[in-house]
Parts: sequence; structure tokens; C-alpha cells
Amino acid sequence: MNIKEYISSGIIESYVLGLASNEEKAEFEQLVSMHPELQQAREAFERSLEQHALDNAIPPPVALKQQIWNSIQLSPVAVAPGIDNNVNTHSSPSTAAPVRSMNTVRWLAAASVILLLGSTLLNFYFYSQYKSTSAQLSDLIAQNQQMASNNTIMQTRLQQYESNFNIVKDTNMAMVAMKGQPVAPQSATTVYWNKQTKDVYLLVNDLPQPGSGKQYQLWAIVDGVPVDAGTLDMSQASGLVKMKNIPKAQAFAITLENAGGSKTPTMPIYVVGKT
Amino acid sequence: MNDTVTYNEQELVLSLKAKDQQSFSYLYDHYAGALYSIVLQVVPDKELASDVLQEVFVNIWRKIESYDPAKGRLFTWMLNVARNLAIDMVRSKAYQNNQKNQEMPETDFFEKAGNTIQQNVDNIGLRKIVNKLKTEHRVLIDLAYFKGYTHEEIAEIESLPLGTVKTRIRSALTQLRDILK
Repeated sequence: MNIKEYISSGIIESYVLGLASNEEKAEFEQLVSMHPELQQAREAFERSLEQHALDNAIPPPVALKQQIWNSIQLSPVAVAPGIDNNVNTHSSPSTAAPVRSMNTVRWLAAASVILLLGSTLLNFYFYSQYKSTSAQLSDLIAQNQQMASNNTIMQTRLQQYESNFNIVKDTNMAMVAMKGQPVAPQSATTVYWNKQTKDVYLLVNDLPQPGSGKQYQLWAIVDGVPVDAGTLDMSQASGLVKMKNIPKAQAFAITLENAGGSKTPTMPIYVVGKT
Repeated sequence: MNDTVTYNEQELVLSLKAKDQQSFSYLYDHYAGALYSIVLQVVPDKELASDVLQEVFVNIWRKIESYDPAKGRLFTWMLNVARNLAIDMVRSKAYQNNQKNQEMPETDFFEKAGNTIQQNVDNIGLRKIVNKLKTEHRVLIDLAYFKGYTHEEIAEIESLPLGTVKTRIRSALTQLRDILK
């Protein structure tokens, strides 16, 4: 083999730059040990390559040296090339785990915030439900009381009507219809007069409201003379009003008198009816 | 920078094999920039390149035993460690997926791709020299040296006879040597 040709063939550069095949490498290494000029040529190329690389150096990040020291001192076990156990950004299991647990914590925090918000909203909802329910309850209690008092009123009225009806249905009861007179032609009253007991009841069909200090008074006309049969309290005149007993009368009449009544009629007659 | 101690190459290698931390510190201070430049010519992303550089120095520290001075200078050995790790990075699935996600109009490496800072590799180190070669040579050196393809793979990629690939690469390399001198 012509060593000069070999030297200038490009094999040196190919070998140094790591481009030679395994056979080429084996051959080169064998020849180098035999040919000092080959070794010198190789060294010359290596030095020029090294010098060129040093001349074209690019400063790496300042922190990198310390990172490398940390990496060497933290994990002294030899690693195969390509296995990535360094402090870098790529997916290594040691960095993935904390990220995952970090996510879990964040998810848990988010979930608890959502639960708290949900619970708060439910509290507001239930509180407003409670408020409206208790308002409805007090309404119902008030209504119930109203109905109870209405019921009492109705029962009272019913008892009154029943007693009135019992009075009226008595077979001894005589009815005296009393017609309106010129002072109040629309007026009408009725006297129920029990022939046996001589009880007199007055029913106001229609009478004008008396002025203040005035009161209606019922008179029984006995043999041409008016006899007091009692005064009428208009506020109690919704049904039959018990008047004084009258043993005998030919007619009944009502006049408007001063409150408390008079001994003899002084004012015009409102209604009158014969027995 | 620690320049209180200087080493000749033999001393440096012996100290490194003895796991002397001061010598390793000197090695880093002296060669990190040169090796970073090499890594960037293969991995233009500065962040990924510094990850690779870290791996390079960890490997130098751990594997200094396997360095044989009979086969070449220390820098040549470190250069090949750096080139091999950089090519491993470029060929890793994670890197490939990342590149697919950042598919850009292939103008040049000046562009920022996503949030990564790309080094313009055409003007640094060996790339600068390789770019002085004829296109037919430049393409083959790029595939062989910076992308790590074998001569057989390149023959297939470029649809060239294997002999032609070998001849052109040898020719390109001797031109490189002449420019470097």
C-alpha cells in the first residue's frame, strides 16, 4: 500500500470525524501503529479541527456548569448515552410524578371550591325556601283564625236565626205588618205578637237611620191611647228584637224620639199597622 | 474561569481518569464553548443543545476510562461524544414529534420556532466551512456528519451508487482539511 496515497485519500478525516466504517477504522488503527507519518497527519488534522472548534466556540448558558456538577454528584452511577436522567425539560419519570400530584392537588382544590360554592348556593336556596314557607305558615295561621272567628259569627247568626225562626213558627204568633207613613213612605216593619205569652217582637224591614241623639220607639195603641212598647237599638236590629209585653192592642206604631224614649209620642209616626 | 492551573493534554487525561474535579472544571472552561458549537450545528434549539451539552460532559466524566490516547486526541474523542449524543437527540421520538408540531416554512434557522431559540447554524464552526463546498459535496457531508446517516443510507436517500457516495465524501473531506489548514 502506498501510504502517501492513503494519507491523502480522505481516510484520516473520515476516521477522525467518525465517518469511517468499522473495517476502515480497524485498518486505519493498524496502519497508524506502523506508519508514524500517518499518525502525524492524523494529529495535524485533529489539531486544526480542535483549533477551528475553539476559534468558533459559542458560550453555553452560565448556569450549565453547576447543573453538570449537580448531575454528576447526585447520581454517580454510569449511564448509557441517550438515557436521559439529567435536569432537563424532557419527559423523565422523576419530573412527571410531581407534576401529576400537583395537578391532583389543583383538581382537589378546584373541586372543593366548587363544592363550597354549591353548598353556599343550596344554603341560600333552602333559607329562602324556609322564609317563604314560614311566611305562608303565618298567613295560613291568620286565615285559620279569621275562619274560626267567622265561624263563631256564623254560629251566632245561625243561633239568632234559629231562635227567630222558632219564635216566628209558634202557632200563637200574630203578625202585624206596619206600613210607611208620609215622613218615610218606603219604611216597613213587622211586629210578631204572641197572643198567649203577650211577647212582642219587632222586625225592621226598612227604616231610615236615625240622626244622632234620636231613637225609634214602638207604641202599642190600646183603646186609642199609645202605650210605650220599648225603644229600638238599630245596631241590634238585624233580626227579631224583643220589645215589652203588650197584653192588648188595636194597633202598633213607631215614632222617632229623643234617645232614651219618651212617655208619650212627640214626633211624627214613621210606620203603623193594625192588629 | 479557572486559569490558575494549566494542563498539557497528557496531564489533563491522567487527572481526569483520577476523577480530579479541578481538572474537570478546567476541561469544561476550556472546551464547553467549542463542544456547544458542535452540538448546535446538529441541534439548533439552544435549550435542547444545552441539555445535550450537559449530557456530553456527564458522559466525559463517567467514560473517561474508555478514552484511548492511541486512537486520537482528547478533543477528537470529546467531539465524537458530542456529535453522537446530539444526533441521538435529533433522532429521539420526543424531538421528532416536537419538530412535527413546529413544522415551519423551511427558510433558515434564523426563525424562532414556537418558543425555542434556533441558532443560525450555517455560520458556525464546521458548517461555515462545509458551506464553501460544492452543493453535491455539501449535501453529502450534511447527511453523513451532521445527520449521522451511513454511506448506504445516503446512497438510498440521494439515489446514488454507494461508490459515488464514498468517493464524493472522501473528496469533500480532503477539501475540508485543506480549508482548515
